[in-house]
Amino acid sequence: MLFKRSVEELIDDVKIGKLDEDTVVSYFKERSARLDPKLRVYISTCTIKGKKGPLRGIPFAVKDNMQLNDTKTTSGSKILENYGSAFTATAVKKLLNNGGTVIGKTNLDEFAMGSSTEYSAFFASKNPWDLSRVPGGSSGGSAAAVASGMVPFALGSDTGGSIRQPASFCGIVGYKPTYGLVSRYGLSAFASSMDQIGPLTKNVRDAALIGNMIFGHDSNDATTVDREINVMNALENPIEGMKFVLPLEFTKDLSSNARHVLNEAVENLKKLGAKVEERSIPSLKYAVSVYYIIAPAEASSNLSRYDGIRYGLRVEKDSIDETYNQTRDEGFGKEVKRRIMLGTFTLSATYYDAYFDKAQRVRAKITDELLKILQTHDAIIGPTTPKTAFKFGEISSPLDYYLQDIYTIPANLAGLPSISVPMGFVENLPIGLQIMGKRFDDSKILQIARAYEKVRGEFPMPNVENGGEK
Amino acid sequence: MMRSVIGLEIHAQLSTKTKAFCSCKNEVDADPNTNICPICTGQPGALPVLNDQVVEYAIRGALALNCEVHKVSSFDRKNYFYPDLPKGYQITQYFHPIATKGYVELNSGKRVRIRRIHIEEDAGKMFHSSENITESESSLVDLNRCGVPLIEIVSEPDMEKPQEAREFMEKLRDVLRAVEISTGNMEEGALRCDANVSVVDDNGRSSSRVEVKNINSFRFVQRALEYEIDRISKAMKSGKNVPMETRGWDSASKSTVSMRSKEAENDYRYFPEPDLPILVIAEERIERIKNSLPELPDEKAKRYEEKMGIQKENAKILSKDKGLSKYFEDATEIGISPKDASNWIVNEVMSLFNANSAEFDPEKVPLTYLKKIIDYTNSTKISRLAAKEVIDEVYKTGEDPDTIVKKRNLLQMSDEDSLVPLVREAIAENPKVVEQYRKGKGSVVGFFVGAVMKKTNGKADPKLAGKLAKKLLDGEIE
Repeated sequence: MLFKRSVEELIDDVKIGKLDEDTVVSYFKERSARLDPKLRVYISTCTIKGKKGPLRGIPFAVKDNMQLNDTKTTSGSKILENYGSAFTATAVKKLLNNGGTVIGKTNLDEFAMGSSTEYSAFFASKNPWDLSRVPGGSSGGSAAAVASGMVPFALGSDTGGSIRQPASFCGIVGYKPTYGLVSRYGLSAFASSMDQIGPLTKNVRDAALIGNMIFGHDSNDATTVDREINVMNALENPIEGMKFVLPLEFTKDLSSNARHVLNEAVENLKKLGAKVEERSIPSLKYAVSVYYIIAPAEASSNLSRYDGIRYGLRVEKDSIDETYNQTRDEGFGKEVKRRIMLGTFTLSATYYDAYFDKAQRVRAKITDELLKILQTHDAIIGPTTPKTAFKFGEISSPLDYYLQDIYTIPANLAGLPSISVPMGFVENLPIGLQIMGKRFDDSKILQIARAYEKVRGEFPMPNVENGGEK
Repeated sequence: MMRSVIGLEIHAQLSTKTKAFCSCKNEVDADPNTNICPICTGQPGALPVLNDQVVEYAIRGALALNCEVHKVSSFDRKNYFYPDLPKGYQITQYFHPIATKGYVELNSGKRVRIRRIHIEEDAGKMFHSSENITESESSLVDLNRCGVPLIEIVSEPDMEKPQEAREFMEKLRDVLRAVEISTGNMEEGALRCDANVSVVDDNGRSSSRVEVKNINSFRFVQRALEYEIDRISKAMKSGKNVPMETRGWDSASKSTVSMRSKEAENDYRYFPEPDLPILVIAEERIERIKNSLPELPDEKAKRYEEKMGIQKENAKILSKDKGLSKYFEDATEIGISPKDASNWIVNEVMSLFNANSAEFDPEKVPLTYLKKIIDYTNSTKISRLAAKEVIDEVYKTGEDPDTIVKKRNLLQMSDEDSLVPLVREAIAENPKVVEQYRKGKGSVVGFFVGAVMKKTNGKADPKLAGKLAKKLLDGEIE
């Protein structure tokens, strides 16, 4: 039953000699190989061993949009299907330097654009709680891998909720650190002003542990900050007297069952001595619209480099323009094309003021409003997602699909730290509690999440081996 | 009278050690694709980090061009597809440039205003199997130049004549060189110029603005604009439409050819570069750089003229180039008078290098040698002509002037006793010329000087020879 053990427990097992490092790695590799045909988690597998360090013998998985030497990094796209990494992403390197071993690169929606892995160019991953449902996305492969115990933890990336939403759907912890705390160097860019790498783990202590290892200023990423932070220090402190806001905008569309689960979580927080205030944060209603202007705009530019000239897929035609067109037509999937077109449009000289510039201004307003509230309150809480995992093919309208991120997007727009912790089940499917704080208050949101996790009690794991149905 | 309106956009490569956003060497001429890395080749996940030396150089250039340096500026992306642009966008400063509002003062005293200076990155170089990419079977790309730092300098449309545009470019080059931020070499592409020109007719009607690209020498700045103004003027006179377009200068045919109409231009979709933080420059840094700027060519020329009493033209020439002005100033330090130093350097030393189409090199004519030659000449020990011979020999062989003078027997005959018999001889040999003199044609004295010079193989002191000839002819001496 090694797969049930947390990262911390495994570290201890190795440290005291109860387990040797190779046993742990081969156990998880074997389990991964056995479950992967069911869950379709990995785009590729590998064994990349790190140096000596605290994570000695601890295997982990990496979302396949992070560069790692000696592996392909496809970003879930046909255009990079055979792209061999040119270097190793800083966050991955830090974990390797801490002793970890990468055993696989996980599936994602192409270039992280999606909430289900249905937009992966290769295949869709499955939710370990119900194989007919999506694991969420875009870090769906990483979430399913951790939830099913194929790895003790995994790295994901979060631009609009891509760590937290799949964590919510799969019943695990997903933590998006403050923008600038973790280097983006080596992460295939989607929307650079919001992309952030973070861990997916079984519990909050592991999230804090891995967070500590990947934080830090990176001379290769000019947007990282130079700041000492240790999120383990205050992790077990009580949260008595803390004040939280539960925005009305985060609850009005909830089903009564989901609301019931949320109420229980709120009660638990109150039991710990925290105050929960329900109130409106009016600008939140613009978050999705703003996000779907800014993120595609940045993406349209970030994805220009995939032109078939230097690497990746090239569909050679008679002229340079035809080569560009055909390469990108065949190399990109429809959601990526949709966002490139959207972004190209909103950045065009004619529409820049009406769309991109206005969106930037509204973004600043949302940020201001959130920061103002977080000056007087310790955190903003709510459900991570409006609903639980949906079935494959269930959502066909792009707009409905985009609304998956409605609660997670504000943290990306404002660069805030945010975490999703499992809070219960709605019709046998997990749903998460989201906690976000002000910038660099990562310690505090992890502390709150940890306190909540303790009062909530043990959260079950799905039984994938016997059918994957709960 | 038709009148033209000219504005320039100049790209200057900064000679920093490394590229603008990665640590690759800034060496464009290395073997193709050797100075490249994941960042400048646009690999997935690579991020730009601004090289601080680029900021330093840009500030230096901006201050030397009398610009206002902004404490806060930022970077933007200019998006377009081309195989020499790996990321599919160029990092530039579109919305908030590092500096604005400068000027270059022309020799006439006219100030050509600089609208803005911004930092950006260069693209790679393409090699096509035919003239251009559309006609080529295949093309190759060298990314060594990709990410090399540039400053773009945009002038206001303040120039009215092609000659002014050329002077602006030359002055700009001199300044960039003086503050040591660019080689300023147009032929090698380290300094590039796009010219915008329109023509206004007698009725005040203006033509469309035409942009001329690919101008790769200072001479061609003028030539291309002359050609273009002529072309537009003729079209206007004959009532033809002048389309707003981009044209390329073809140095082979000495003409411009249409490249693309303005309508066909890209929409560059500029937006703030999210990978780079806002560039904040401390006031103290700007002050420090301002105080460390070397004396600029114009200031130097003024000092040479006003404080050292040098001719204006010479002062300008000597102040243009750092090596040359140092040579000049060192010459005065070792006791050559400023006037002698400037005349000799401009007329003799520089013409040696020009004649050999070589770059100026102070080692070729050491100052101690130059001083010897000037001393020889001033004391009339050798003739001006012999001096030229000596300096030429110094340039060629590096020999000491003393040795050359001795070896070539160049010491001037400047004593009356030895010259008088020779002058007498010349007079005796040319009775007809003597006759002319007697009839009042004083200028024939020169003839006798020439004759004496011939007899002495040029070693006679011509002044003295003239004086003696006159005296002998007038019978003042026997």
